[in-house]
Amino acid sequence: MMSRTNNFVFWALYIVAWIIFVGLSIEAGGLIVNFFFSLFKPEFVQNLYQKLDLSEMYKQSRLAFFGIYCFILSISILKACLFYIVIHLMHKMDLSKPFNSFVSRQILMISYFTLSIGLLSLVARQLAKALLNYGFVTHDLNQFWADGEAFILMGAVVYIIATIFKKGVDLQVENDLTV
Amino acid sequence: MPIIVNLDVMMARRKMSLNELSEKVELTLSNLSILKTGKAKAIRFSTLEAICKALDCQPADILEYAEENEN
Repeated sequence: MMSRTNNFVFWALYIVAWIIFVGLSIEAGGLIVNFFFSLFKPEFVQNLYQKLDLSEMYKQSRLAFFGIYCFILSISILKACLFYIVIHLMHKMDLSKPFNSFVSRQILMISYFTLSIGLLSLVARQLAKALLNYGFVTHDLNQFWADGEAFILMGAVVYIIATIFKKGVDLQVENDLTV
Repeated sequence: MPIIVNLDVMMARRKMSLNELSEKVELTLSNLSILKTGKAKAIRFSTLEAICKALDCQPADILEYAEENEN
């Protein structure tokens, strides 16, 4: 049985995860809108979300523009998906019987998403650094991939936990099917 | 799995129902059903002993090894 404190912490985390998921979804949506506006109506971008104006980059090099935007959008969408998996897991998980294949699969998915975000952030940061040498202004973009290492570390830890959890589920199934 | 459980055959030979066996070996009906249908992954020696005692048979009467057909 879970103690009352644990139960409280679990529900608090569930609410926090929901809030973060809503925030990240809004951010991803805003960036997608920004992307289309910067393609078709660049003059409006100043009034849009985070004022992410890459129209100068678009004029200088389309390849750099689409490359950078591709990273920004992938990272923000992956972050929203990651938190969707977290709230889906917390919503469906039965705390009295947590060892089942669904939870194991979701934890593994969380680790894959976290690792992908971390790796993409690192690659994107290197790309932004390289673009600086070609005269592009990419300082404003650092906020999108500031925490790449943290995501990789978290992804690795969650992956290890997922592997151990999977073994635990296998043992549980074997135990359940032992008469 | 190449291990076949012939519990139903022995029960039929001894004319014993699943309920009766369940009471004698002190196993739940669901666990006995798992064993009977071949879904079990393992069987404890204590369970095997109890079943052999209740059905008056040898372990080989209940468990059988058959080569798995790859097709």
